[in-house]
Amino acid sequence: MSNEETQPLLACRNVFKYFGGLAAVNDFDLDVFPGDVIGIGGPNGAGKTTFLDVISGISPATSGDIALNGTPIATKKPDAICHLGISRTFQLNAGFESMSIEENTLVGAAFGLGDKGWFPRMTYNREMRERVERALVLCNLQDKADMVVRDLPVLDRKLLMLAGALATEPKLLLIDEPVGGLNPHEVDDVMEIVQGLIKEGVTIILIEHVMRFLLQLSKRVVILHHGEKIYEGDSEGLLNDRKVVEVYLGEGTADRLQHMMKNRAQNG
Amino acid sequence: MALFWKHRDFVIFAILLGVALAFPFMGIPRFILAAVLIMYCYATVVSQWNLVFGLAGIFSLAQVAIFAFGAYSTALLGRYLEMNLWYSFPIAGLGGILFSFLIGLACLRLRGIYVALLTLAVSQMMFVLIQTDAACSALNKAINPMSCVSFTGGSQGLGDFGSFGWRAVLGGRNWMTGDYYTMLGLLVIGLIVTYLITQSRMGLAFRALRDNEELARSRGISQYKYQLLVFGASAFLTAAAGGFYAAHFGAVGINLFGFPLLLFLISMLVVGGIGRLWGPLLGAALLMSADEVFKEFSDWRNVGLGIVVLLFMIFLPDGLAGGIDKLHKLAVRVFTRARTA
Ligand SMILES: Nc1ncnc2c1ncn2[C@@H]1O[C@H](COP(=O)(O)OP(=O)(O)OP(=O)(O)O)[C@@H](O)[C@H]1O
Ligand SMILES: [Mg+2]
Repeated sequence: MSNEETQPLLACRNVFKYFGGLAAVNDFDLDVFPGDVIGIGGPNGAGKTTFLDVISGISPATSGDIALNGTPIATKKPDAICHLGISRTFQLNAGFESMSIEENTLVGAAFGLGDKGWFPRMTYNREMRERVERALVLCNLQDKADMVVRDLPVLDRKLLMLAGALATEPKLLLIDEPVGGLNPHEVDDVMEIVQGLIKEGVTIILIEHVMRFLLQLSKRVVILHHGEKIYEGDSEGLLNDRKVVEVYLGEGTADRLQHMMKNRAQNG
Repeated sequence: MALFWKHRDFVIFAILLGVALAFPFMGIPRFILAAVLIMYCYATVVSQWNLVFGLAGIFSLAQVAIFAFGAYSTALLGRYLEMNLWYSFPIAGLGGILFSFLIGLACLRLRGIYVALLTLAVSQMMFVLIQTDAACSALNKAINPMSCVSFTGGSQGLGDFGSFGWRAVLGGRNWMTGDYYTMLGLLVIGLIVTYLITQSRMGLAFRALRDNEELARSRGISQYKYQLLVFGASAFLTAAAGGFYAAHFGAVGINLFGFPLLLFLISMLVVGGIGRLWGPLLGAALLMSADEVFKEFSDWRNVGLGIVVLLFMIFLPDGLAGGIDKLHKLAVRVFTRARTA
């Protein structure tokens, strides 16, 4: 066990991402261990999404080292990174608009684990179909498999992104604002689903502005500000951290969240 | 009825194939038979173009250049190596794949309209290269010492390279029937290939990249690999169709690389329905018929085509096939509402 813990699943060292003169990610270090659930918060424009883009290869780091199980991935393409075991959702509702929920998920299931050789296989095998089935059940979409994406309500689109990512059977799942724009009731639905994933042992990095969501799910919280990490630790410490309260939460929110956490600790 | 809609595509396919097979025996005038077989040829090209344009969503205009490449390859092989055309078709097809790969490679980092511009430039470049090829070629001097024909035939085009050979088998009156069935065979293969690719895992990758490239790549699809694959997969039958075209007419000309043919074929794609299985056939049938009408007003032919394309893009962006689908859905809705009311 301790041996496993010394080898992080994901290790980021001195990661920088510049857009022109702007350091969207500034000298960022992070270790993620198997079974971790890391919550990333911070003001708008802090660089949270950019950090996920960097890890997933959508927008490669300007400099720094990123390793997955010891394999360097900082310069790899998104498809190769997916094959190595990192899968993600997007902040904006990304989907294959013309396809059904099932086909959307099938993309992850059929290509996400690898696609060797110049001439690809033409048919789907049983494992692919089973991965689709499993992902849809995990995200509570199994009854809507035939619906076409462009006709879906926001909640289902968010869940579909999650299902598509899960169908690749990721070692590390990156989730960008899964409940942005949802009503409190829907937030609870998503929370339940993510809790289910955590129980399954999925390792997760999670971005969210809805703090009750972030604090209740994360085992460790990281706060970004101007691309820099200004906090890393547990939820309690976060709410008492002067700088975090100052630049991000504000006194009122911090108090409210402290209450919520206390109530939860008493009730559960 | 429900059973019909479930297997709609197979039923339509079976009926059309039956009619097409019987067609030459229905007492049809020869000139119509000739037009229909050319329609098959164009429909084949457009069906392969549909893979790139409709299924993969890449705005390539290179398909007609690949078609012309196939026609010229067949002509050159037949004329200078005296190759039996039945051998040169597959060679032209493979050459077409290579040619298409190169174009796909050049387009890798380009998107949208820039792909259209680059591929159009390729066609124009081929056009000019052949047009300016005017030097008498020694190879042609060997064939006929009195003549001065350039290697590619330049702006005059090239002939004397053979045919399907049906005249020798079926005789002078019926050779056209042989050409007709040959083209029909090509079209049938073309439709089956596009259907299978659309249904396959590879087709899913093309559609995923078309719908959302960033998401597709994050789900493990290599844009690089599948762009090259769609350019390659769509090129074989396109170039082979070029070879068939050359074999049927016994001549190739520079107009194959020209803008009017490009406009004509892209009109078929738009009018029939981009990304629809039956789109290319519908479009080819309609435009070939319309062309017979517009022919009377030769100067206005391209203007007329341009207007037709414009009207479809504005009012029926999914083409005839899309329009029929919509009508069907509407009918189903009205029907079920009437029943439940
Ligand atoms: N492609 C880009 N080109 C230039 N600047 C960019 C680009 N993407 C992001 N940025 C800038 O980088 C900074 C970080 O943006 P990012 O989207 O990562 O923030 P975020 O923390 O995800 O914010 P939000 O909470 O609003 O989603 C912002 O200042 C943004 O304007
Ligand atoms: Mg963001």
